[in-house]
Amino acid sequence: MSIFEYNGSALVAMVGKNCFAIASDRRLGVQLQTIATDFQRIFKIHDKLYIGLSGLATDVQTLYQRLAFRHKLYQLREERDMKPETFASLVSALLYEKRFGPYFCQPVLAGLGDDNVPFICTMDCLGAKELAKDFVVSGTASESLYGACESMYKPNMEPEELFETISQALLSSVDRDCLSGWGGHVFVV
Amino acid sequence: MKLDTSGLESFAPLSAPIDDLCPDLSAPPTFDLPRSADFDGFQKDAIQMVKPAKGTTTLAFIFKEGVMVAADSRASMGGYILGPGLYYVDSEGGRLKGTRFSVGSGSPYAYGVLDNGYRYDMSIEEAAELARRAIYHATFRDAASGGVASVYYVGPSGWKKLSGDDVGELHFRYYPVAPSPTEQEMSELSPA
Repeated sequence: MSIFEYNGSALVAMVGKNCFAIASDRRLGVQLQTIATDFQRIFKIHDKLYIGLSGLATDVQTLYQRLAFRHKLYQLREERDMKPETFASLVSALLYEKRFGPYFCQPVLAGLGDDNVPFICTMDCLGAKELAKDFVVSGTASESLYGACESMYKPNMEPEELFETISQALLSSVDRDCLSGWGGHVFVV
Repeated sequence: MKLDTSGLESFAPLSAPIDDLCPDLSAPPTFDLPRSADFDGFQKDAIQMVKPAKGTTTLAFIFKEGVMVAADSRASMGGYILGPGLYYVDSEGGRLKGTRFSVGSGSPYAYGVLDNGYRYDMSIEEAAELARRAIYHATFRDAASGGVASVYYVGPSGWKKLSGDDVGELHFRYYPVAPSPTEQEMSELSPA
């Protein structure tokens, strides 16, 4: 079992019409044993920016604390919130700093930029950014999630329909993965 | 000391007469080997391949009325039931007689519930409920167990399947959710 599969996770983010949705599973395990069924993987950076972190749970929590700290400092200095694109570059830089001893996390970012244009991106554990126009996935259930999203997604969905789509994609994918599941958290902005 | 080499003797006669009526009689016992350059490596890989295939929870126990057997649906049985007895048999040749066994990756969790609730004098319904609960608890904690909890009773007149419940449904039956006041409700989509 690889280090990325130690705790188990599933994350997905989708773009809709002037909105985005980001969803995660709620299981925290230690290999095959389930420890918690209410683990939080998606965190709010500011009202229009959410980050989900999959992979090793300890790195999920540490990385979130470091990113929240950096964003709060930015808010104090610039007196405004960070744009999603800027934040993505920040996350990427933070991850690459640890190039030879990385955080075992794969982040998924979702936010609304200027004029409420939705923005989503994902990264590998070393900070390689991958921007997408439709959806991004991460975690132990990522292969199932790719399949589910590819078949269920359509562009320009309204928030209610986007919520249904992302929920069904998440639930059907985690059902085929032992290491993720136990419900889901969905954020629609 | 003269060594006893009788075990090394071949059973094939030195000059084998070709007899079409019973060709196997004169041929030495043989079996096919896989065509591989590295047979030891092949054997090792084969063993490694089946090692993870024990993700499951099964259990069986003897009680006053007979034998109760239960398993999740990701199962492959490791216990064999013989008359009023119960034997645990494994793929490495181990064989144990006993009254309570659980096998698989979820077995520690099943043992916890089974050992706690076990009494010899139980009715069939009580024993079935104990077996069901033990499997349910194992599927909760063990990621490699899940699906349907099947319970079978083995009595003097044979076996009978008692129940096959989805463990997701069992969860809400054992731990019902109290309806909480809703903070936000999604409105119904009006038909387009």
